[in-house]
Amino acid sequence: MEERLYDLIFICRPDTPEPDIDKLISTLEHAATEKGGKIEKNEKWGRKRMAYRVHRLREGYYVYLVVRSSHGEVVKEMERRLKVSDAVIKYLTVRLDEELKRQDKLKRRRERRAARRPKRTAVAATAGSEPSAATA
Amino acid sequence: MAEQDAPNPQTASPAAPSGPPAAGGPSGPRPGGRPGGPPRRGKRGFVRKKKVCRFCVDRVDFIDYKKAEVLSPFVQERGKILPRRMTGTCARHQRWLTVAIKRAQNIALLPFAAEL
Repeated sequence: MEERLYDLIFICRPDTPEPDIDKLISTLEHAATEKGGKIEKNEKWGRKRMAYRVHRLREGYYVYLVVRSSHGEVVKEMERRLKVSDAVIKYLTVRLDEELKRQDKLKRRRERRAARRPKRTAVAATAGSEPSAATA
Repeated sequence: MAEQDAPNPQTASPAAPSGPPAAGGPSGPRPGGRPGGPPRRGKRGFVRKKKVCRFCVDRVDFIDYKKAEVLSPFVQERGKILPRRMTGTCARHQRWLTVAIKRAQNIALLPFAAEL
């Protein structure tokens, strides 16, 4: 089965101490590796104002993870742990590999077109220069 | 073309004082008007500026839901997603945009609705 790439964002209560958040990230990392996944990136965005209130809180501590795995068990386990944790007030997992594949495809197509284009622009440039010469 | 248009305002300006002042040339160009180019045809020809898809201009292949500052211009203050006819976004990018906005809403980067 092909590898899948996920974005996992979770929001902790703003009053959770930093060591607790680090501990939570490391347990998640451990859980992921145990299930055969891999955390490729972890970023702490820090305290941010949320767009709406969650559990009567206006702010939250955002943590962003990129997870690579070959099966859904990894995500399932990580989401279960997030659900159990008291500090976490919100989380979201988004599967991204298909969109990145599409992005790659579009990019490649554009590059191919760009490689073909120089001829066409040269023709357009000569065509553009002719009318101006006629008016002058 | 320019040579044909040039005598037109000259013929029109002597004609204006002789004729009734109210009918100041319904179709002819005004003497003080634009010097060159074809004559403007009344007020009907109001040309709306063509909106261009911002994402197409920037050659965006993937709209990131994590960048709320990119998405927020396409959301009303009350939280509504702006329609294509308002923003000029192309169909494909609007499709990606709505998905991105909805994801951002889920993780509290963008509001679902305005708070009181």
